[in-house]
Amino acid sequence: MMLSKAIRYSNIHLKLGQKQIFSGFNLTINAGEKILLNAPSGSGKSSLVRLLLGFQKPDSGEIFLDDKALEKNTRHSIRSQCCYVSQDVDLPEQNVWSLLEHIFSFKVNHEHDLNKEDVITSFNALNLETEILEKNVKDLSGGERQRLGLSICFLLDRPVWLLDEVTSGLDPALKESVRNIIINSPKTVIIISHDEIWDHENIRKVRWD
Amino acid sequence: MGTTQITYMGLFLLLILIIPLMLMNKQLKLSLNKRMVYVIIRMFIQLTLVGLFLQFLFERNDPLLNCAYLTVMIVVAGFSALKSTGLSFSKVGIPIMAAFIIPNIVMIFYFNKIVINLASPFDARYFIPIGGMLMGNSLSGIIVGLNRFYDAIRNDQKTYFYTLALGATRSEALLPYVKNALIASISPTLASLETIGLVHLPGMMTGQILGGSFPIVAIRYQMAIMLAILVIRYASTLLAIYFTSIRAFNEFDVLDL
Repeated sequence: MMLSKAIRYSNIHLKLGQKQIFSGFNLTINAGEKILLNAPSGSGKSSLVRLLLGFQKPDSGEIFLDDKALEKNTRHSIRSQCCYVSQDVDLPEQNVWSLLEHIFSFKVNHEHDLNKEDVITSFNALNLETEILEKNVKDLSGGERQRLGLSICFLLDRPVWLLDEVTSGLDPALKESVRNIIINSPKTVIIISHDEIWDHENIRKVRWD
Repeated sequence: MGTTQITYMGLFLLLILIIPLMLMNKQLKLSLNKRMVYVIIRMFIQLTLVGLFLQFLFERNDPLLNCAYLTVMIVVAGFSALKSTGLSFSKVGIPIMAAFIIPNIVMIFYFNKIVINLASPFDARYFIPIGGMLMGNSLSGIIVGLNRFYDAIRNDQKTYFYTLALGATRSEALLPYVKNALIASISPTLASLETIGLVHLPGMMTGQILGGSFPIVAIRYQMAIMLAILVIRYASTLLAIYFTSIRAFNEFDVLDL
């Protein structure tokens, strides 16, 4: 698998309810680039992520991962190259270890073996206690869920990371180390956050109104 | 059939027992009297009509007529299923009908022809009550199952999307919801299997015993029908989920009902 991929939004129009969110929106994100979406709330930051994953359809326009356009036949392979951590980390409510087993049982994830050492390494990088493996997802704190979401990204090792408010529940030291891990990774990363920690020279800010 | 008849006088004797209830209602200022009178009259009319109609069906005992009767029941039942799930007919009407009709037809024939080995599987005396019980159960199974399935996906949309984003195919992402819907659908049957005979004597068995069958014959029928009901609920729920889900999602796996 390639280490990173380019993402391109081309001439996107999107209306949600009465509100015209995008009219002719264009954005190219180069392979390996880190992008911070910096726009007021309600301006469609999360929509951009959902558009790429095919959960929302633009009224017109196209989305590409490298040169592959998102459509019916490519949706699954495009999703499988992205690791998405949603704002509330809406993972299924079950025991964490069986959740990991469940995720790794998907056909597309078969190339990865789930082993405890890797899990522990990725948990350690995020200062996440291994005891949570025995807990149910619904009993985790917000910060623990965010770190669990991130460590699933580390384990799946996909070329594109889509991170929606993943540091809001973390302490300052941890925020910084998450940011450093991300800056130093070869992945293409889209970050949605109001956190100042992402204000960094290696992260390109994309603004719109 | 050697059942002692209940005379109209007998019915009247039970009816007069309602009078003390109504007096009591008045005393307690329970505003139930209007409703009680209404439902009792309604029951008399409904059952009399059904009785006359079944009498006619049984006397004629015409396979075609029996089939026509069951077809009407199927259509009415199908529409009532659709209505109570709140799903749109144009989208999932045909899939639900198919999920209802196919297993029921197979089971009715299996039961009448292979299990009890009737000369004619259309014999009204078996075809109509057994068909009715199977269809009633399959219908309620489908309703419970579909409601549980689509409600859960709607309420749980973010988790469903997250699972897709983690690389699940549509079927992989839907599997947990299918499991839960199936459990919800067959749980009432499992519960009644557990307590049957202890807490209540099932209606069919009671009816057969009153109709002159030996209890030992009646319990075998009861066991057979319970097994058939379990199978039919399971199968029709699974088929209903499968058939409707083909049309319920858009090309990007998003629920679109």
